[in-house]
Amino acid sequence: MPVATTTALLDRLAAQAGPGAAVRAGGDDDAVDGVQPRLVAAPGTGEGVAATLAWASSEGLSVRVSGGGTKQQWGAPGGTVDLLLSTAALCGVVEHRHGDLTATVEAGAPLRTVDAVLGAHGQRLSWDPPWPEQATIGGIVATNDSGPRRHGHGAPRDSIIGVTMARMDGRVAKAGGIVVKNVAGYDLARLLTGSFGCLGVILTATFKLTPAPPASRTVQATVDSLEDAASVAADLAASSLTPTAIEVAWGPARLLARFESVEASVAQQADAACAIVGARGASVVLAGEQERAAWERHAAHWSPGGTLVKLSTVPAELFATLAWLRDRAAADGLEMAAAGRAGLGVVDVRLDGPPEAQAGLVGALRERLPAGRGSAVIRRGGPELRRRVDPWGPIGDGMRVMMAIKRQFDPAALLNPGRGPGGL
Amino acid sequence: MESHVISGLERIVGPDGIVRDDGELLTYETDGLVKLRSKPGVAVLPTSAEQVQRVVRLCHEHKVPFVARGQGTGLSGGALPHPDGVLIVMTRMNRILDVDIPNRRITVEPGVMNLDVSKAVAAAGYYYAPDPSSQVICSIGGNLAENSGGAHCLKYGFTVHHVLGVEAVLPDGELVHLGGPALDAPGLDLLGVLVGSEGTLAVVTKVVLNLLRKPAAVETLLAAFDSTEAAGNAVSGIIGAGIIPAAVEMMDRVTIEAAEAAVHPNFPKTEAILIVELDGAEADVSALFTRVEEVCNEARASEIQIARTAEQRARFWQGRKAAFAAMGRVSPSYYVQDGVIPRTRLPEVLGRIRDLSERSGLKIGNVFHAGDGNLHPLVCYDERIAGQADLAQEVASEILTYCLDADGSITGEHGVGADKAEHLPKMFSESDLDTMQLVRCAFDPGYICNPGKVFPTPRLCGEVPGPYRRHPAEAAGLAERV
Repeated sequence: MPVATTTALLDRLAAQAGPGAAVRAGGDDDAVDGVQPRLVAAPGTGEGVAATLAWASSEGLSVRVSGGGTKQQWGAPGGTVDLLLSTAALCGVVEHRHGDLTATVEAGAPLRTVDAVLGAHGQRLSWDPPWPEQATIGGIVATNDSGPRRHGHGAPRDSIIGVTMARMDGRVAKAGGIVVKNVAGYDLARLLTGSFGCLGVILTATFKLTPAPPASRTVQATVDSLEDAASVAADLAASSLTPTAIEVAWGPARLLARFESVEASVAQQADAACAIVGARGASVVLAGEQERAAWERHAAHWSPGGTLVKLSTVPAELFATLAWLRDRAAADGLEMAAAGRAGLGVVDVRLDGPPEAQAGLVGALRERLPAGRGSAVIRRGGPELRRRVDPWGPIGDGMRVMMAIKRQFDPAALLNPGRGPGGL
Repeated sequence: MESHVISGLERIVGPDGIVRDDGELLTYETDGLVKLRSKPGVAVLPTSAEQVQRVVRLCHEHKVPFVARGQGTGLSGGALPHPDGVLIVMTRMNRILDVDIPNRRITVEPGVMNLDVSKAVAAAGYYYAPDPSSQVICSIGGNLAENSGGAHCLKYGFTVHHVLGVEAVLPDGELVHLGGPALDAPGLDLLGVLVGSEGTLAVVTKVVLNLLRKPAAVETLLAAFDSTEAAGNAVSGIIGAGIIPAAVEMMDRVTIEAAEAAVHPNFPKTEAILIVELDGAEADVSALFTRVEEVCNEARASEIQIARTAEQRARFWQGRKAAFAAMGRVSPSYYVQDGVIPRTRLPEVLGRIRDLSERSGLKIGNVFHAGDGNLHPLVCYDERIAGQADLAQEVASEILTYCLDADGSITGEHGVGADKAEHLPKMFSESDLDTMQLVRCAFDPGYICNPGKVFPTPRLCGEVPGPYRRHPAEAAGLAERV
């Protein structure tokens, strides 16, 4: 840590962050896991971000990047942070090319704001991750976060087609472009997606969009057991229906299958889905306000508080794993609930209870999951839990290359230090 | 090549796994882009990941460049051999290792043909979505290297959207596993950057692919138009109506005539045709197909043919997929370009290509994936006429500048390879290319893995300046510094 006073650093920082930048000393509200940054900057331009990073590099200052601040507690607890770099002032839709079904968006734009702009032309991103009012495009991309519609529309990695980033040495680089099909050069956009900001700061990203469908129905099926939920979910996924979401929520077991298309199709498919559920559960077709309310109830699983562990298995092994978790959590005195993508094998498990019991459960869960066939990543958890157990779990034999990439992009390990996957 | 390297290779793959005879090596001197030729120093045909690993390790130890090759159908010289290097021919690694219908996964070796993947799961009602026109003869390993697309990627995406995991040999011979049958393996998305890296980062030895359920309904129509502009308007109208078809393909008069001469699909004799295919749930397809017909009529289609049977649908697609090869019927030689433009710039760019054709005197056929703006102009020439091959090359390059003027890309699915490396700096700045090559340096600091492809100038991969800080994983003893 350089010996310059905070006031002196603030003056220099303000000169770098450029016009329109907000620069101040860090306060209690900026602390994450009790670690408070010395400096806070919200540059108003991409050039300002780049110049700020170059300056931080030259001063040897570590940088934490934040968008809407919804996922600051994800990943490993970081060490000291000198500068909190906020993308909040980069919040515009740069261009919506509605005729081409693409849009370029600044990193700090909240998802809800972006979808409102795209909606003017009947289009959307078709992402529905938690906290859309606060969560920004940059943060959603950096964590590759997604929601129920991932079943039909994929994760951010599937719709990103271009990116502009600032490197820790202050260089600005782009990859991909604004066309939906493009194999020129390396796909840095996908490399940055899910990188937790450990390679560079995303300035803008370009996506292919989807038309907003005119009609929607959701089939809600209440089933008696996880076993019934498993067989219904498997039958739905194996059918020729085209749901945009197949969600499971457990505690008690409930399935939600969403259909979004033209009216005739969603009505017919919802009926077909009820027939698939059959006698294995009580199913009801929801539309309009009832449908909206059902999804709001479902989203409450991600409301603040409690630990969230992302469990990923091959789809056919999801429910057996959940059943094992249910029994083990009960034996360990932990409260457990689960919700997520039944058709894809990815759910968020919510845990409440003593951190040491949670740590034991996560460790035991990981032992059950063979490499490549599953993982359990702590997405959100108290600092004690994240200190007791590695939030990421085993990364596998690709770790060496990942570290080499980190060293190439950020040789002094100043950018989001320790927060990247595997602690990069 | 030094004799002890060759004898080392022979010990690994056996005498029937190595090709060193000059005449036999000519088989491998080119891929689908026949204008570029280079005979490899030696070729090996490994049968296992372990053999690939040992071959690569030997290359690494002796600093010998190597190039992996699948079926050699690539159109950008991506598998062009290195004259002093080892060509690793993957065709003998062609087993389907595991079919897992409950999880909708299939695990294959890279030499398996694209279409054979779909065939292996067809009876169970599934298929593998990426369908390059060469799918009968191109292999999964090459698809992965190029991030291959195909006619149906408008709706279903490219290879990168359907590859879930790989086993791969890094340029230093280490075997790694990236991704897998389960989604969201923790770590950086190395798979995302490996797919489409044109064989410059690793040699893939095993691939886990995602399978899709065959759609309940498929409808295909062919619409004829008096101009490519009118056909382009129909495409905009379809997308504007909120419809994402499974495929929207356009052919112009030159390519329609060529296809007719070659495979007789009985296409209308007109200026432009569109093939539009919808698939999905029955209610969706029937409702939206009517709308597509309306849009084509509003765009003044002179004729609409609807495929009433699977045979008719196959005839439409045979005509479309044969278009490249069919050009041989109307021109002694042709050069395929692969530029991409935003779909809304189609009329402007097609107009410029038409002017260029008139100015240069070279016939240019257009067949393309209209839904996603991926053009495939076919520049016709006769190499027996002095200077015409060079002229064709210039014309093809000029078309790429039109694509870049329209904020597009120099390649949508064929790759940069050896062919277009010199064009890459027209699309990306020095800083962009430098950043991409940081990835190259992490995977292949010795620059031996398919060198000379993609990037016009290699970046030096020396120690990066700046203070080194011990990584937390190193500190914890979990990994060593690389």
